[in-house]
Amino acid sequence: MGRVPLSYLANRLATLVLTVFIAATLIWIIPRLSPIDPADVMFGRMAAGGGSIENSEAILRGLRERFGLDQPLIVQYLLYLRNTFTLDFGISTAGFPTPVATLVANALPWTVGLMLFSLVVTFFIGNLLGALMAWERTPRLWRIAIPAAMVFTSIPPILSGLLLMYGFSTQLGLFPLTGAYGLNVEPGWTMDFVRSVLHHGFLPAMSIVVVTFGFWALGMRGLMITVQGEDYAVLARAKGLRPRYILYRYMIRNAILPQITAFALKIGLLVAGQVLVERIFAYNGMGKLLYDAILDQDFPVIQGVSFVIILMTALAVFLVDLAYPFIDPRIRHGGAGA
Amino acid sequence: MNILDIGDLSVDFPTSKGVVHAVTGVSLSVPKGRRIGFVGESGSGKTTTALAAMRMLTPPGFVSRGGIHFNSPERINLLELDGESMRRVRLRRISYIPQGAMNSLNPVMRVERQIWDGIVAHEGPADREELRRRSDAALEGVGLDPAAVAHLHPHELSGGMKQRVCIAIGVCLRPDLIIADEPTSALDVITQRHVMRTLREAQGGIGAGLILIGHDMGLMAQSVDDIAVLKKGELVEFGPTRRIIKSPRHPYTRELISSVPLVGGGRFPASAPAKPAAAPRRESGPPLLEFQSVSKSYGGATALRPMSFRLDGEAPRIISVVGQSGSGKTTMGSLMLGFARPTTGRVLFEGGSVPGRSSGERLEFRKRAQAIFQDPYACFNPFYRVDHTLRFPFERFGLSGGPEDTARAMDEACRAVGLAPEAVLGRYPHQLSGGQRQRLIVARALMLSPRLLIADEPVSMVDASLRATILDSIHDLKESHGISIFYITHDLATASHVSDYVMVLHKGHVVEAGPPDAVIGDPRHAYTRLLIDSIPWPDPDREWGSEVDARAALEEIEIQPETVHRGSIPGFELRQG
Repeated sequence: MGRVPLSYLANRLATLVLTVFIAATLIWIIPRLSPIDPADVMFGRMAAGGGSIENSEAILRGLRERFGLDQPLIVQYLLYLRNTFTLDFGISTAGFPTPVATLVANALPWTVGLMLFSLVVTFFIGNLLGALMAWERTPRLWRIAIPAAMVFTSIPPILSGLLLMYGFSTQLGLFPLTGAYGLNVEPGWTMDFVRSVLHHGFLPAMSIVVVTFGFWALGMRGLMITVQGEDYAVLARAKGLRPRYILYRYMIRNAILPQITAFALKIGLLVAGQVLVERIFAYNGMGKLLYDAILDQDFPVIQGVSFVIILMTALAVFLVDLAYPFIDPRIRHGGAGA
Repeated sequence: MNILDIGDLSVDFPTSKGVVHAVTGVSLSVPKGRRIGFVGESGSGKTTTALAAMRMLTPPGFVSRGGIHFNSPERINLLELDGESMRRVRLRRISYIPQGAMNSLNPVMRVERQIWDGIVAHEGPADREELRRRSDAALEGVGLDPAAVAHLHPHELSGGMKQRVCIAIGVCLRPDLIIADEPTSALDVITQRHVMRTLREAQGGIGAGLILIGHDMGLMAQSVDDIAVLKKGELVEFGPTRRIIKSPRHPYTRELISSVPLVGGGRFPASAPAKPAAAPRRESGPPLLEFQSVSKSYGGATALRPMSFRLDGEAPRIISVVGQSGSGKTTMGSLMLGFARPTTGRVLFEGGSVPGRSSGERLEFRKRAQAIFQDPYACFNPFYRVDHTLRFPFERFGLSGGPEDTARAMDEACRAVGLAPEAVLGRYPHQLSGGQRQRLIVARALMLSPRLLIADEPVSMVDASLRATILDSIHDLKESHGISIFYITHDLATASHVSDYVMVLHKGHVVEAGPPDAVIGDPRHAYTRLLIDSIPWPDPDREWGSEVDARAALEEIEIQPETVHRGSIPGFELRQG
């Protein structure tokens, strides 16, 4: 449709690269402000595992050389930048000598799957319920039930996870307690495996949906009330359009616009917010990887995971920026709105 | 045959402070094909009566008494229909053209689709070719080119075009009755004339009855057959337009007619030119405001062509800037206030460039040059009492000598604009009327003792009877407080009443300038004449002119781009380029 001029695309791409660059730099600086020497930590772990160690000085030096910690800071930084932008995050100190990239690559599909699924479901349910809260034709029962369901929003996800585990797994036995897939299936594109993954993913996803749909519902309700007062909503009624058509095409269609921006921003936040959920469900995703890395003071993994989170958020915002003019015709590429 | 019979209709709004009787015992009939005007000020119940006929009263409003009978195809009481039957009546039998032309169309839907969904909702699914044929015909019927407009989104249309689309939607199913609620209130006079002409032709073409809601007696006189005057929910006078205008019986009708500012009529601020001595004379110094070859373009579009003028400010002046939307008049205001930077040239305030280089200079400039805007509601923060809006700038600019001093200054400012302080202070913006709000905004500006006031359409959103009061307040700022004022408006009539000098702007260019008696009393430029001809007067015998005439006049203007200078006044000088 020719709605995306090249200059705009270049501009957004530059912003994307700059955001990621600044974030990468911060990720590099912050651990270096801490007094902890990763080589010491690693050495300590080795010592704890194997008792006393000969040539400890030489080993420490070797470790520092291996991780490039003996180089001047600026060299470390430039190497880091080069490596990061080629998605080489170095080697895990806790899981030595597994590259961080491998760890991330193994964890990412699980998290993205779980996260996107729960986010999309939450977005859909939350916005629909929020719209129904504001719609004047909503049946009375729903009007009472929806705000009541909001109670769940005040529960922290870790508790909702435990409650769901207790109810659906321990008591009813409907879903497995933990893990991302059953031990009796071989990972691969087989029906058994896919079924097992969906079966295992259901409870973690629901524990997120239950506590986060209120965010969307409340936001949507407020937006709907604004839209209901708009002149076009009044004219829609005066045109004798069917109420449900007005709800979808005139009200929700307009009220959803700011929610879509929020959706993009949530993508990054959700990985972080999912840490505990993955932990209690022993789900092998990015959240669990990050959690373990923090416990182990595994800096390369922390950096790698943080970078991927930021990259995903920035990419999501970039994509929404590109998509927005197709969703809202008033926004034109190239700056000023209508 | 009567298409609509309203019998003894009463509408109540139960509120926490008791029941508000919005409409009380109104009875009237709309014959087929006839145009009826509902006239009254805001709160008179004219819109409420129309919305009751649409069964679209805003909750908690309800019809407490009476009936609304609709006689096509057979006689039915609209108030007794169930929801689905009433839905079928809307648009197909009674269509409603809403007030807010700017926001009445769904912003995310193409224009043609908004015509189609109305057709589909009443006649069932149709194939796209058929729908397109009907929407094209509807758009052509209101003077829009379907090839150019049908695929656009509402934000790509001008205000006048949007209102025409609303009319196209309203007439496409050939209803028996059209209710148009102030369809032109947001439009300038030239566009208003076009849109009213379109509406009348469309209504006449399908032979529908028309209820035109408005507060402007001039517009009514030019547009309808019968006038119903409403006041505080009651029908105070009803009759043929000619009779109502020529010999109004009710004093309220007379008041409405006389509140229409007439070109060439008496200057209505009673104090008018009498007492120039009262104005404190300013020390001579650099001119108050100077434009040096200022122009402004946005992207490739020129909003304002190079313009130079100098306002001395030694004696206060009111300079009117008149033009349609898109003429560059609001751009001029933004440049004066430093909200926009000139593309070329310089804007100087008291010899320094606007808005000043250092933050101290900018602050001083903001204090000495104040602004009043069109929408008095949007100027208040709805979460604060109105006091806050008055007090905050006063204290922020360091003018206050303590809380008591502030309170005294607020009281004085309220009195100066004709408001009783105890009636307005301490209340929230939504508790005040539009007129009270706008006068408070004038008071707020006054408290800062500015030297210059930029008033951008300060009265276009208030009732006609209040216009005079607010313009009086503004005029008084000049006379008693020595403030020079730029009055930016599309309304030549009010400009002729208050100003010392008038500049007529067309497409970013001053086409005619001079004292109001010359420019407005005896216009020389074709565009000025067109503006004056487009003003609706309360005179049923006057021919408002056809759209074809207006188009021809606009074309003639292109031939004559030079500024016509019609004399000058001391203290203000307009130069070419």
